[in-house]
Amino acid sequence: MATTAVTSAGIASEAPRSDFGRVLAQRERRFAAALLAPAFLALLATTTFPLLFLVYTSAFRMDLAMPFTNGFVGFENYQVLLSDERFWTSLLVSLVYTGSTVALQVIIGLALALLVMDMKRGQGCFRVIAILPVVLSPAVVGMIWRTFMLAPEFGIVDFLAINAGLGSKNWLGDPTLAMVSVIAIHTWQWTPFAFMVLLASLASLPEDIYEAARLDRASAWQRFRRITLPLLRPAIVMVIIMRTMVALTAFAAIFTVTAGGPGTATEILNLYAYRKSFTELSIGYGSALAVALLIVTIIISGILFAMRRAK
Amino acid sequence: MTAKRLRIFALLAISMMFLLAWAFPIIWSVLNSLKTDSDVLAYPPKLVFAPTLEAYRDVLFGSGSILPNLLSSVIISVGTTIVTMLMAVPAAYALARLRFRGKKFAGFYVLATQMLPPVGIIIPYFLVLRNIGWIDTYQGIILIYLSFSLPFAIWLLVSYFEDIPFEMEEAAYLDGASRLKTLWRIIIPQVRGGIAVTVVFVFLNAWNEFLFAVVLSGNTVRPVTVAMFNFVSVEQTLWAKLAAVSVLAMLPVVVLGVVAQKHIVKGLTVGAVKGGGRR
Repeated sequence: MATTAVTSAGIASEAPRSDFGRVLAQRERRFAAALLAPAFLALLATTTFPLLFLVYTSAFRMDLAMPFTNGFVGFENYQVLLSDERFWTSLLVSLVYTGSTVALQVIIGLALALLVMDMKRGQGCFRVIAILPVVLSPAVVGMIWRTFMLAPEFGIVDFLAINAGLGSKNWLGDPTLAMVSVIAIHTWQWTPFAFMVLLASLASLPEDIYEAARLDRASAWQRFRRITLPLLRPAIVMVIIMRTMVALTAFAAIFTVTAGGPGTATEILNLYAYRKSFTELSIGYGSALAVALLIVTIIISGILFAMRRAK
Repeated sequence: MTAKRLRIFALLAISMMFLLAWAFPIIWSVLNSLKTDSDVLAYPPKLVFAPTLEAYRDVLFGSGSILPNLLSSVIISVGTTIVTMLMAVPAAYALARLRFRGKKFAGFYVLATQMLPPVGIIIPYFLVLRNIGWIDTYQGIILIYLSFSLPFAIWLLVSYFEDIPFEMEEAAYLDGASRLKTLWRIIIPQVRGGIAVTVVFVFLNAWNEFLFAVVLSGNTVRPVTVAMFNFVSVEQTLWAKLAAVSVLAMLPVVVLGVVAQKHIVKGLTVGAVKGGGRR
């Protein structure tokens, strides 16, 4: 008798609470939907819709200079693309540009972070200076390098080259040197990013492991190879992923310096898609190039994320 | 002992070299902006010269003044920041604090939108804006800036919302406050710092943007980053003026960057901790 009373009382008090709970949960859902709606509508309109429209556009011949030739062409743009030598060249330039800038950023950034970590004084100085390149517009950076740094003779880089006995060089006019220049500029601007992230990560490593390693008489190289590097791996992979995504779609830093030139020497795929669409005004084919860039981006990020998961 | 000293000295020299390499192009632009054209072009480059503010005077108040372009940059950046924050703060709160179906997917969607190459967004956008006559308008450019500022702001804000204790909200609900009131009166004041940091970065990114601006700008809307090209033409380069404009374009972001110094690593790596993403 007593037990039934307890259970019925329990049920009686349970029932309204779960009802109340359901109402609360429903209210919470509605509230969440109302809060999310503006941002998600804006994201749909500015990212998802353009993506769908881009894929649609890539199935058309859409030439703003010759509108009378426009029309649906299906996959023709993609067929042209596969046999377009300029596309393959730009893809290769993209991969060289991305690979070399990311590798340089990580290697120099890591080396410098290790160096600064051991400094007893002056760390603050590095932290402040490192911010400067990172916050600047790549467009302004490109402009400064193109003129005051790389101009023949009075540009500082050329001045240094002359004094080093190399002679005055045509830094942006020679295909190879132009590529080296745009890679150097990108590396100059973004190495501080790798440096700051890796320095922050280094600073958070536990000190006692190193103490133990020192007691075991591990050499500096062993400590780096066996302790620092494995512990830093997540941060390094994160830097690689982030910087790769940006380098693949770099625009201003090349556009303002060489505009892809001389010829197509520094024309990465991103820039080719832009030039095709807005300089040569063939928007349909430009769209196909942009879709190709998106596919390349997805493949590369897929590989990088697999790398991140693999231990 | 001497070998060790030598090593320390070498390392110090190397690190000083890097410091100089990072600071120099910026310092050099500032110096060049205080020169006359002939001083800029001098060989060997002049470190000592008679400084003049002539370039700044010409650039700001001469013919072809860049004041309208600076104003353009300010309107675009402030406008983007306001619209972004109005949308991102509620969305970030919902993603960080509320329970609802599809929450994981919503968070993933925000991250995934950042994978799109900007050039893939601007091509269709250009076609649409041309049709509705929004090329060279502030609303057109601010709308497309949301494509990169919103995901960034939402993720940065989520990380701040996640840091406040749940008890605060619960206490407010027990007092009978509505959800909206609680958000406005209790939660938002708690994340003021995070909101300030987000504002700084959204402004900075909008100020620095170039690709969308170069496609969508015209005679009415032309930010400084695009207007800089006026000083470099095939016929001639206006050296000192270009330097002055560069310095004016750098000034706000350098000030903001130094002010937000402590938060810069967080601002640059936002979203990366959870998934992929980029600035």
